[in-house]
Amino acid sequence: MSGPPLLSVQGLTTTFRVEEGTFDAVQEVSFDLGEGEVLGIVGESGSGKSVTALSILRLIPDPPGQIAGGEIVFRGENLLKASPGRIRQIRGGEIAMIFQEPMTSLNPVFPIGDQIVETIRYHERISRRAARDRAIELLDRVGIASPAQRLNEYPHELSGGMRQRAMIAIALSCNPRLLLADEPTTALDVTIQAQILELLSDLREEFGMAIVLITHDLGVVAQYVDRVIVMYCGRVVEQAPVEELFDAPQHPYTQGLLSSIASLDGDSERLETIPGTVPSPFELPSGCRFRPRCGFSRDACSLADPPLIAAAPGHAAACIRLTGYALPRTDAA
Amino acid sequence: MSAPTPPLIEAVGLTKHFPVRTGIFNRSASVVRAVDGIDIAIPPGETLGLVGESGCGKTTTGRMLVKLIDPTAGRILFEGKRIEGLDAATMRPVRRHMQIIFQDPYGSLNPRMSVQDTIAEPLEILKIGDARSRREQVRELLEVVGLAPYHAERFPHEFSGGQRQRIGIARALAVRPKLVVCDEPVSALDVSIQAQVINLLKDLQKDFGLTYLFISHDLGVVRHISDRVMVMYLGKVVEVARKRDLYADPQHPYTQALLSAIPLPDPKRRSRRKVIPGDIPSPANPPSGCRFHTRCPHVMHVCREVEPHLMQGAPHHWAACHLVHPPSTPRPAPASV
Repeated sequence: MSGPPLLSVQGLTTTFRVEEGTFDAVQEVSFDLGEGEVLGIVGESGSGKSVTALSILRLIPDPPGQIAGGEIVFRGENLLKASPGRIRQIRGGEIAMIFQEPMTSLNPVFPIGDQIVETIRYHERISRRAARDRAIELLDRVGIASPAQRLNEYPHELSGGMRQRAMIAIALSCNPRLLLADEPTTALDVTIQAQILELLSDLREEFGMAIVLITHDLGVVAQYVDRVIVMYCGRVVEQAPVEELFDAPQHPYTQGLLSSIASLDGDSERLETIPGTVPSPFELPSGCRFRPRCGFSRDACSLADPPLIAAAPGHAAACIRLTGYALPRTDAA
Repeated sequence: MSAPTPPLIEAVGLTKHFPVRTGIFNRSASVVRAVDGIDIAIPPGETLGLVGESGCGKTTTGRMLVKLIDPTAGRILFEGKRIEGLDAATMRPVRRHMQIIFQDPYGSLNPRMSVQDTIAEPLEILKIGDARSRREQVRELLEVVGLAPYHAERFPHEFSGGQRQRIGIARALAVRPKLVVCDEPVSALDVSIQAQVINLLKDLQKDFGLTYLFISHDLGVVRHISDRVMVMYLGKVVEVARKRDLYADPQHPYTQALLSAIPLPDPKRRSRRKVIPGDIPSPANPPSGCRFHTRCPHVMHVCREVEPHLMQGAPHHWAACHLVHPPSTPRPAPASV
């Protein structure tokens, strides 16, 4: 990465208050994202990957959620200090977001054309007619056939794949510098998933935007991402360039995830598994959160939750095996 | 398939058309051809993987085999006996030999029933044992699926998705079935938990001598559990083969597209994937001829007009495609697949 990062998240902590108490859905998460870079955030349900993305756009519902600490600096501006008006400009303008289920993120009572035009006209002073022409262009670009006619259709008249294309058209309508894509293909069929991922990959080259791609699918990560963050129980446990993560994973959780994916290449009789289950946020173990499921845990692991420890340039993991089970000094992140 | 052992379950010409009712008189305006004349045979102890995208009829097929829904046409034979015409009462003794595990471990367990009651219910309905022995059995079953006996007193909301799926599996096993239809049993689970459940299903198959129909949209998952794999598209079977043959040498362009669409978990082997265009057509109005012709990269004139039949090429490898079996090829005598 050369020059200042497009987005820099430092020490982000987002808490939720629920009946059982308060917990950190995301704790001390830090990462940088360069211009045009594709960053993958991987993790299982409850790992905090969606909350991280929602925090960037300050879309955390408050209550029950609240961004409790940290900085989110986008092009030199701390979004956590931005005024409500400014954040509305950024949402859908410089930073756009697409979600897993396009049916719930499109408004069912308006034709999709109106929804694209609305976004464009919110951010730019441009005539309805010109916005409409741009909407047709965008629908055409995302691969929707006969776009002028589709403009007048309602979300329920479109298939799942077409809805996701329409969502992408809305997201692209103001030329964002950053696209947050939260499991954009999880709800789609395999062949349609491939279409959408290829489309996103083409669009990134064409528009030169950076993408944060949130997924639980390590195959998607391997094929489409430059750099990866692995999250577990609200914390980043490993970050690395994609090839290095697959070649030399350092955190036992990453290692477990990689060996448990039902690889198409393997014909192994038994699948590798990670024993146990993800702990509830109210019953987190002392020390390292992965300790009860980890085959390498020793007494030292229960003493403190390890910070990210450098393993190689650009590659760090939150595991004290990297220091020979010596607890690192707290400033050595 | 000319298996030496007769199949445990077999279906011939299995068809389900759902009427689409419209208007105030509830007239049947058209039909959705969910499953349109397919043949299946699973020998005892085998796992047949059934793969396809939404609307291909895989779930409907699974439910018809265990008679949760009645077929519109076709025969179903369980251990050589016709069962498609049986009513609920005559079906009951057969029913204990066939169970089903559902996709959604949240929707398929009654939130008001304890785990004990959930797992014991099939035993009560089939009047197996007394209350005391049923209690004992539930405890054993919980251990078999990797839960603890004390879990019996708890309720579904106290469990994670993976644990709930284990409860669903224990319930299915309670009556000691021979056939278990697994309908997307791991699709709702996290990756690390999927592997645990698949390993469990494999162990149970060995221990209890189970026969599985394993339904999934995920060719990766199916590979790990199946002996043979059947691929469906819009109510038709497009390809059936032994697992190794299907993955190493897929014949049907749809199977090839499905395999190519899966992102490989290897960043060193990045490739532009062969993406097939278009959406899955509606099963209410399937395309003429070969149903895949609207999306097929190799479509020929004949594909639009003549429906291809499932034909055997290599031993035990069947495909329904004019490209693989040109229409002039003499058709071999129909055999059950």
